[in-house]
Amino acid sequence: MTFKQSIDMQTKITKIDKSKPEMIEIQCHTLSEEVQEIVAFVKSRQGQLSCVSDEKIYEVSVSDILYIETVDNKSFVYTLNNVYETKQRLYELEEMLKEKRFLRISKSMLLNLMKVSSIKPALNSRFMAELISGEQVVITRKYASDLKKALKGGMV
Amino acid sequence: MTLKEFILSRVQMFFVLVTLILFGSAVYGEIIAPEQELFYYHLFSPIIIAGACILPTCVTYFKKEPTPRQYIIRQIVELLLIELVVMLLVSPPPKYNGSELKFYLSIGIMVGIIFIVILLLFMYIKYIQAVKLTEQLKILQATK
Repeated sequence: MTFKQSIDMQTKITKIDKSKPEMIEIQCHTLSEEVQEIVAFVKSRQGQLSCVSDEKIYEVSVSDILYIETVDNKSFVYTLNNVYETKQRLYELEEMLKEKRFLRISKSMLLNLMKVSSIKPALNSRFMAELISGEQVVITRKYASDLKKALKGGMV
Repeated sequence: MTLKEFILSRVQMFFVLVTLILFGSAVYGEIIAPEQELFYYHLFSPIIIAGACILPTCVTYFKKEPTPRQYIIRQIVELLLIELVVMLLVSPPPKYNGSELKFYLSIGIMVGIIFIVILLLFMYIKYIQAVKLTEQLKILQATK
Protein backbone atom coordinates (compact mmCIF):
# COMPACT_ATOMS: atom_id res chain seq x y z
CA MET A 1 0.00 0.00 0.00
CA THR A 2 1.41 3.42 -0.90
CA PHE A 3 0.40 6.76 0.58
CA LYS A 4 0.97 10.24 -0.73
CA GLN A 5 3.99 11.99 0.68
CA SER A 6 1.79 14.72 2.13
CA ILE A 7 1.07 12.37 5.01
CA ASP A 8 3.57 13.05 7.70
CA MET A 9 2.28 10.96 10.53
CA GLN A 10 4.21 9.73 13.45
CA THR A 11 3.71 6.12 14.39
CA LYS A 12 3.60 5.05 17.98
CA ILE A 13 3.34 1.47 19.16
CA THR A 14 2.75 0.81 22.84
CA LYS A 15 2.93 -2.63 24.35
CA ILE A 16 0.01 -3.27 26.67
CA ASP A 17 -0.97 -5.88 29.20
CA LYS A 18 -2.83 -8.95 27.89
CA SER A 19 -5.81 -8.13 30.07
CA LYS A 20 -6.47 -4.93 28.05
CA PRO A 21 -8.03 -5.08 24.55
CA GLU A 22 -5.76 -4.27 21.58
CA MET A 23 -6.70 -1.18 19.59
CA ILE A 24 -5.48 1.15 16.86
CA GLU A 25 -6.14 4.85 17.32
CA ILE A 26 -5.56 7.37 14.54
CA GLN A 27 -5.19 10.99 15.51
CA CYS A 28 -5.63 13.19 12.48
CA HIS A 29 -6.51 16.72 11.51
CA THR A 30 -9.03 15.71 8.89
CA LEU A 31 -10.60 12.43 7.82
CA SER A 32 -8.75 12.48 4.53
CA GLU A 33 -8.81 9.86 1.80
CA GLU A 34 -5.42 8.57 2.96
CA VAL A 35 -6.69 8.11 6.50
CA GLN A 36 -9.73 6.29 5.17
CA GLU A 37 -7.41 4.02 3.21
CA ILE A 38 -5.52 3.17 6.40
CA VAL A 39 -8.78 2.42 8.18
CA ALA A 40 -9.95 0.23 5.29
CA PHE A 41 -6.65 -1.64 5.32
CA VAL A 42 -6.85 -2.31 9.06
CA LYS A 43 -10.45 -3.47 8.74
CA SER A 44 -9.62 -5.77 5.84
CA ARG A 45 -6.89 -7.36 7.98
CA GLN A 46 -9.59 -8.02 10.57
CA GLY A 47 -11.84 -9.62 7.99
CA GLN A 48 -14.02 -6.65 7.12
CA LEU A 49 -14.27 -4.40 4.12
CA SER A 50 -15.72 -0.90 4.09
CA CYS A 51 -18.27 -0.71 1.29
CA VAL A 52 -21.01 1.60 0.10
CA SER A 53 -24.49 0.72 -1.04
CA ASP A 54 -27.38 3.18 -1.49
CA GLU A 55 -25.17 5.94 -0.05
CA LYS A 56 -24.81 4.02 3.21
CA ILE A 57 -21.54 2.64 4.53
CA TYR A 58 -21.42 -1.04 5.40
CA GLU A 59 -18.76 -3.23 6.97
CA VAL A 60 -18.92 -6.34 4.84
CA SER A 61 -17.42 -9.48 6.27
CA VAL A 62 -14.73 -10.81 3.91
CA SER A 63 -16.04 -14.34 4.41
CA ASP A 64 -19.40 -13.27 2.91
CA ILE A 65 -17.88 -12.00 -0.33
CA LEU A 66 -18.31 -14.15 -3.42
CA TYR A 67 -16.13 -12.07 -5.73
CA ILE A 68 -14.96 -8.54 -6.41
CA GLU A 69 -15.17 -7.08 -9.87
CA THR A 70 -13.90 -3.89 -11.46
CA VAL A 71 -16.21 -2.17 -13.94
CA ASP A 72 -15.27 1.24 -15.38
CA ASN A 73 -12.56 1.76 -12.75
CA LYS A 74 -14.98 1.10 -9.93
CA SER A 75 -14.70 -1.92 -7.65
CA PHE A 76 -17.85 -3.83 -6.81
CA VAL A 77 -18.17 -6.38 -4.05
CA TYR A 78 -20.65 -9.19 -4.62
CA THR A 79 -22.20 -11.14 -1.77
CA LEU A 80 -25.01 -13.67 -1.89
CA ASN A 81 -27.73 -10.99 -1.61
CA ASN A 82 -26.10 -7.62 -2.28
CA VAL A 83 -23.70 -5.67 -4.44
CA TYR A 84 -21.56 -3.01 -2.78
CA GLU A 85 -19.07 -0.52 -4.08
CA THR A 86 -15.67 -0.05 -2.52
CA LYS A 87 -13.18 2.75 -3.03
CA GLN A 88 -10.23 0.43 -3.07
CA ARG A 89 -8.59 -0.62 -6.30
CA LEU A 90 -8.52 -4.24 -7.35
CA TYR A 91 -4.74 -4.57 -6.98
CA GLU A 92 -4.98 -3.17 -3.43
CA LEU A 93 -7.75 -5.61 -2.59
CA GLU A 94 -5.77 -8.44 -4.15
CA GLU A 95 -2.82 -7.63 -1.91
CA MET A 96 -5.03 -7.27 1.17
CA LEU A 97 -7.10 -10.38 0.61
CA LYS A 98 -4.56 -12.86 -0.71
CA GLU A 99 -4.25 -14.35 2.76
CA LYS A 100 -8.03 -14.73 2.91
CA ARG A 101 -7.98 -17.15 -0.02
CA PHE A 102 -8.94 -14.65 -2.66
CA LEU A 103 -7.39 -15.17 -6.06
CA ARG A 104 -7.22 -13.05 -9.20
CA ILE A 105 -9.02 -15.00 -11.93
CA SER A 106 -9.13 -12.34 -14.65
CA LYS A 107 -7.96 -8.83 -15.33
CA SER A 108 -11.03 -7.47 -13.56
CA MET A 109 -11.99 -10.07 -10.98
CA LEU A 110 -10.95 -11.40 -7.60
CA LEU A 111 -12.56 -14.65 -6.54
CA ASN A 112 -13.16 -15.98 -3.04
CA LEU A 113 -12.10 -19.61 -3.42
CA MET A 114 -14.07 -20.52 -0.32
CA LYS A 115 -17.27 -19.73 -2.21
CA VAL A 116 -16.60 -21.90 -5.25
CA SER A 117 -18.62 -25.07 -5.53
CA SER A 118 -16.93 -26.51 -8.63
CA ILE A 119 -14.59 -25.80 -11.50
CA LYS A 120 -15.59 -26.67 -15.04
CA PRO A 121 -13.69 -26.66 -18.34
CA ALA A 122 -14.30 -23.89 -20.87
CA LEU A 123 -13.06 -22.99 -24.35
CA ASN A 124 -9.38 -22.33 -25.05
CA SER A 125 -7.56 -23.13 -21.79
CA ARG A 126 -10.13 -21.24 -19.75
CA PHE A 127 -12.06 -22.61 -16.81
CA MET A 128 -15.43 -21.68 -15.33
CA ALA A 129 -15.89 -21.43 -11.58
CA GLU A 130 -19.35 -22.17 -10.32
CA LEU A 131 -20.13 -20.32 -7.12
CA ILE A 132 -22.39 -21.40 -4.27
CA SER A 133 -24.92 -18.86 -5.57
CA GLY A 134 -25.09 -20.74 -8.87
CA GLU A 135 -23.33 -17.92 -10.73
CA GLN A 136 -20.52 -18.82 -13.10
CA VAL A 137 -17.37 -16.73 -13.52
CA VAL A 138 -14.61 -17.16 -16.09
CA ILE A 139 -11.07 -18.03 -15.03
CA THR A 140 -9.04 -16.68 -17.93
CA ARG A 141 -6.16 -18.50 -19.60
CA LYS A 142 -3.61 -16.17 -18.01
CA TYR A 143 -4.79 -16.80 -14.47
CA ALA A 144 -5.70 -20.50 -14.84
CA SER A 145 -2.08 -21.45 -14.13
CA ASP A 146 -2.13 -19.33 -10.94
CA LEU A 147 -5.20 -21.21 -9.81
CA LYS A 148 -3.51 -24.56 -10.46
CA LYS A 149 -0.44 -23.43 -8.50
CA ALA A 150 -2.55 -22.06 -5.65
CA LEU A 151 -4.56 -25.24 -5.29
CA LYS A 152 -1.59 -27.53 -5.72
CA GLY A 153 0.45 -25.72 -3.14
CA GLY A 154 -2.45 -25.51 -0.71
CA MET A 155 -2.35 -21.71 -1.20
CA VAL A 156 -1.71 -19.67 1.95
CA MET B 1 -1.01 -19.98 -22.76
CA THR B 2 2.64 -19.05 -23.07
CA LEU B 3 4.62 -19.85 -26.21
CA LYS B 4 6.45 -22.60 -24.31
CA GLU B 5 3.16 -24.20 -23.21
CA PHE B 6 1.85 -23.93 -26.75
CA ILE B 7 4.94 -25.65 -28.22
CA LEU B 8 4.67 -28.42 -25.62
CA SER B 9 1.01 -28.94 -26.50
CA ARG B 10 1.98 -29.16 -30.20
CA VAL B 11 4.57 -31.85 -29.42
CA GLN B 12 1.91 -33.74 -27.50
CA MET B 13 -0.47 -33.32 -30.43
CA PHE B 14 2.19 -34.56 -32.87
CA PHE B 15 2.43 -37.95 -31.18
CA VAL B 16 -1.34 -38.27 -30.91
CA LEU B 17 -1.60 -37.43 -34.62
CA VAL B 18 1.02 -40.01 -35.63
CA THR B 19 -0.95 -42.70 -33.81
CA LEU B 20 -4.29 -41.64 -35.26
CA ILE B 21 -2.96 -41.28 -38.83
CA LEU B 22 -1.37 -44.71 -38.61
CA PHE B 23 -4.64 -46.17 -37.35
CA GLY B 24 -6.70 -44.28 -39.93
CA SER B 25 -4.39 -45.32 -42.79
CA ALA B 26 -4.57 -48.98 -41.74
CA VAL B 27 -8.38 -48.97 -41.61
CA TYR B 28 -8.78 -46.92 -44.80
CA GLY B 29 -6.14 -48.90 -46.71
CA GLU B 30 -7.82 -52.16 -45.74
CA ILE B 31 -11.05 -50.83 -47.28
CA ILE B 32 -9.83 -49.23 -50.52
CA ALA B 33 -6.74 -51.26 -51.46
CA PRO B 34 -6.33 -54.37 -49.26
CA GLU B 35 -3.87 -56.02 -51.71
CA GLN B 36 -1.54 -53.04 -51.71
CA GLU B 37 1.96 -53.94 -50.49
CA LEU B 38 3.86 -51.42 -48.45
CA PHE B 39 7.58 -50.80 -48.03
CA TYR B 40 9.51 -49.74 -44.98
CA TYR B 41 9.70 -46.15 -46.17
CA HIS B 42 5.91 -45.98 -46.09
CA LEU B 43 6.19 -46.11 -42.31
CA PHE B 44 7.56 -42.57 -42.44
CA SER B 45 4.30 -41.29 -43.94
CA PRO B 46 2.35 -40.85 -40.66
CA ILE B 47 5.34 -38.98 -39.17
CA ILE B 48 5.69 -36.69 -42.21
CA ILE B 49 1.94 -36.02 -42.46
CA ALA B 50 1.63 -35.39 -38.70
CA GLY B 51 4.63 -33.04 -38.82
CA ALA B 52 3.15 -31.14 -41.77
CA CYS B 53 -0.26 -30.96 -40.04
CA ILE B 54 1.26 -29.47 -36.91
CA LEU B 55 2.37 -26.33 -38.80
CA PRO B 56 -1.16 -25.07 -39.62
CA THR B 57 -2.18 -25.59 -35.97
CA CYS B 58 -0.01 -22.54 -35.15
CA VAL B 59 -2.95 -20.38 -36.27
CA THR B 60 -4.60 -21.24 -32.94
CA TYR B 61 -1.82 -19.56 -30.96
CA PHE B 62 -3.03 -16.36 -29.30
CA LYS B 63 -0.83 -13.97 -27.43
CA LYS B 64 -3.90 -12.24 -26.03
CA GLU B 65 -7.00 -13.91 -24.70
CA PRO B 66 -9.32 -14.71 -27.66
CA THR B 67 -13.06 -14.39 -27.54
CA PRO B 68 -15.00 -17.68 -28.00
CA ARG B 69 -15.92 -16.49 -31.53
CA GLN B 70 -12.29 -15.82 -32.47
CA TYR B 71 -11.32 -19.18 -31.03
CA ILE B 72 -13.95 -21.09 -33.05
CA ILE B 73 -13.03 -19.24 -36.26
CA ARG B 74 -9.35 -20.12 -35.79
CA GLN B 75 -10.29 -23.75 -35.19
CA ILE B 76 -12.18 -23.81 -38.50
CA VAL B 77 -9.24 -22.16 -40.31
CA GLU B 78 -6.94 -24.71 -38.71
CA LEU B 79 -9.08 -27.62 -39.97
CA LEU B 80 -9.21 -26.18 -43.49
CA LEU B 81 -5.43 -25.71 -43.58
CA ILE B 82 -4.85 -29.24 -42.32
CA GLU B 83 -7.21 -30.59 -44.99
CA LEU B 84 -5.24 -28.63 -47.61
CA VAL B 85 -1.88 -29.92 -46.36
CA VAL B 86 -3.08 -33.53 -46.34
CA MET B 87 -4.59 -33.21 -49.83
CA LEU B 88 -1.25 -31.94 -51.11
CA LEU B 89 0.70 -34.75 -49.47
CA VAL B 90 -1.38 -37.82 -50.24
CA SER B 91 -2.25 -39.46 -53.53
CA PRO B 92 -4.35 -42.53 -54.43
CA PRO B 93 -2.46 -45.86 -54.18
CA PRO B 94 -1.47 -47.51 -57.54
CA LYS B 95 -3.92 -50.38 -57.05
CA TYR B 96 -6.84 -48.07 -56.31
CA ASN B 97 -9.64 -48.41 -58.87
CA GLY B 98 -12.13 -45.74 -57.71
CA SER B 99 -12.39 -42.11 -58.80
CA GLU B 100 -9.89 -39.51 -57.55
CA LEU B 101 -12.67 -37.26 -56.31
CA LYS B 102 -14.06 -40.08 -54.18
CA PHE B 103 -10.57 -40.77 -52.82
CA TYR B 104 -9.90 -37.15 -51.83
CA LEU B 105 -13.40 -36.74 -50.42
CA SER B 106 -12.99 -39.78 -48.19
CA ILE B 107 -9.53 -38.56 -47.14
CA GLY B 108 -11.11 -35.20 -46.25
CA ILE B 109 -13.74 -36.94 -44.13
CA MET B 110 -11.06 -39.03 -42.42
CA VAL B 111 -9.03 -35.90 -41.60
CA GLY B 112 -12.19 -34.30 -40.19
CA ILE B 113 -12.84 -37.36 -38.01
CA ILE B 114 -9.23 -37.35 -36.71
CA PHE B 115 -9.54 -33.60 -36.01
CA ILE B 116 -12.72 -34.14 -33.99
CA VAL B 117 -11.20 -37.11 -32.13
CA ILE B 118 -8.23 -34.92 -31.11
CA LEU B 119 -10.55 -32.09 -30.02
CA LEU B 120 -12.56 -34.54 -27.93
CA LEU B 121 -9.39 -35.99 -26.46
CA PHE B 122 -8.14 -32.54 -25.41
CA MET B 123 -11.58 -31.69 -24.04
CA TYR B 124 -11.48 -34.88 -21.98
CA ILE B 125 -8.01 -33.99 -20.63
CA LYS B 126 -9.35 -30.57 -19.65
CA TYR B 127 -12.37 -32.15 -17.99
CA ILE B 128 -10.06 -34.37 -15.93
CA GLN B 129 -8.03 -31.26 -14.96
CA ALA B 130 -11.21 -29.47 -13.87
CA VAL B 131 -12.29 -32.47 -11.76
CA LYS B 132 -8.85 -32.56 -10.12
CA LEU B 133 -8.96 -28.80 -9.44
CA THR B 134 -12.40 -29.17 -7.84
CA GLU B 135 -11.05 -31.96 -5.60
CA GLN B 136 -8.08 -29.79 -4.58
CA LEU B 137 -10.45 -26.91 -3.95
CA LYS B 138 -12.58 -29.04 -1.62
CA ILE B 139 -9.43 -29.96 0.33
CA LEU B 140 -8.51 -26.27 0.59
CA GLN B 141 -12.01 -25.37 1.77
CA ALA B 142 -11.98 -28.15 4.35
CA THR B 143 -8.71 -26.86 5.85
CA LYS B 144 -10.02 -23.39 6.81
